[in-house]
Amino acid sequence: MADFLSAFSIQSWLESCPQGYLEETEYGHLAGEKEPESILENDDFLEEATRTTVQLVVGERAALAASSGLINCAPDDPSKIFLATQTLDEARHVEIFTQRLYDLGVKKEDLESTLANFANPNLVKFAEVLLEKVDKRDFVAGVVGQNIVLEGMAFSVFEMIHASSKEINPKFAHTLAGTIADERRHVGFGENRIGSLIEANPERKSDIQKMQQEMTHHMLRTFSDSFQENEALVEDVHQNADPDAGPAMYQGVDLAKADSEEMQAVLTNTVLGEFKTRLARIGLEYLPPAA
Amino acid sequence: MSDIVEPHDLSQEDFLAEVHSFQFWLEAVEGYLGGTSFGFDPGLSEQAFSDEELNFLTTTLCNYCVAEQAALEASSGMIRFAPSPEAAIFLSTQVVDEGRHLEVFIHRLKTLGVEDPWREIDSRVNRNLVRLRDRLLEYVDQKDWEASVFVQNVILEAMEFTVFQAHAADTDPITCAILTGVVKDERRHMGFGENNLGRKLMHAPHARTRLDQIARELNPLVMSTFNEIIEELGLLEEGEPAISTNYLATIERLGFTP
Repeated sequence: MADFLSAFSIQSWLESCPQGYLEETEYGHLAGEKEPESILENDDFLEEATRTTVQLVVGERAALAASSGLINCAPDDPSKIFLATQTLDEARHVEIFTQRLYDLGVKKEDLESTLANFANPNLVKFAEVLLEKVDKRDFVAGVVGQNIVLEGMAFSVFEMIHASSKEINPKFAHTLAGTIADERRHVGFGENRIGSLIEANPERKSDIQKMQQEMTHHMLRTFSDSFQENEALVEDVHQNADPDAGPAMYQGVDLAKADSEEMQAVLTNTVLGEFKTRLARIGLEYLPPAA
Repeated sequence: MSDIVEPHDLSQEDFLAEVHSFQFWLEAVEGYLGGTSFGFDPGLSEQAFSDEELNFLTTTLCNYCVAEQAALEASSGMIRFAPSPEAAIFLSTQVVDEGRHLEVFIHRLKTLGVEDPWREIDSRVNRNLVRLRDRLLEYVDQKDWEASVFVQNVILEAMEFTVFQAHAADTDPITCAILTGVVKDERRHMGFGENNLGRKLMHAPHARTRLDQIARELNPLVMSTFNEIIEELGLLEEGEPAISTNYLATIERLGFTP
């Protein structure tokens, strides 16, 4: 255990993150990059960008609360130290996505009301299931919920938004690229550290799988709400797209041409596929949500 | 950042958002941690220690590890009940600072030949420091923001700040480099505590009485820890008054009974 955890030290984190891919960035993107006018000047696009960013802030606030809350119940110092780096990563994500809301025109004094107004209630429930485990100082369930389920979902969602933003919004794509690099480290820690703990505590499996089932239920409902809400907007985006723009490929689907239903299907299949693979690596079986 | 921010031109709210941000932390630590490995320039050579010096330095570093682990657990625990998103983000930067301090002190113990640092820590730690840590974590468990900030960012940080500064002035080059970086972090943490509590106390002066009581309860634990470390480091003659005075001055500056 000690050897693999040395790769998750603060020294490694300093070299790879603040002194690596974040160097010369400003709130995660290159200095001077702006949101495109096509978003800022279209009320519908602006509202959709705000709504999407609000979900990212809500998810990252939950991740910040969970990773910081898990430090006190971590069974060893190397895990505490890794979670310290994850805490700051999550705080950075909260900060950069909050900054994006400001860049989209949300006033500082309206931040909390904007979050309350646009936050998907199913995403809020998803976070509550996780934070209940953290509040009970349940380290194993907390890390599975945080570093496998939440991070696994965030990783795929960020990759999809990144693919769709690369051509049309380089600023946001750059912001997401750094968070994707962070999430990859977090998922790696979850898989490596928790496998041995699950093996040592096999009686915990059913309880943890139940949590995964519940979180998956809320996640799928969040996806469903989000894609249904912007069905017409996706059409609009396609119709107004730059004919010279290249494809926006994600998991073999061109997001620049896909309709809302196809987008939901590719994201859902990707996330659930990731869950199955990652849970199997730590000795857990994926349970589909109850109908 | 590309735009140079002049802090004096910012409103109080914007100033706090600026200095409590990840971005601010990133720019600060880039300056003094760049090129270091575990807190020091890898090109520095180890000096020779006598058995007695090594023994004292080991005990001192063991105590630092306990203090830093307490600070790591306390600052992370406080994020959930931080009064604002900016305070939560500042505390997250403090969490990684405290984790780094723990990591560099553990690493230093290993380079000094300690194979199992935590076994060594358990056998050498000052019991009054453990009591101070336990009291701090009780306040955090109770989600008591004012008491947690006071004990963590004022009492504990002021204690560490004064001890580390005195120790850095009279130690080997590697330990000195590590402590110098740590002291720079502690200055930020104390600034947050003083600013946050100072502004709270302006609006709720009755809270001062309670914090005074906490200070009176915990100061003897701090002094006992000081005395032990001063003795171990051989700073008794010249260092003791300065360390205690610096610590008490910080407490007094906030208007608390030293």
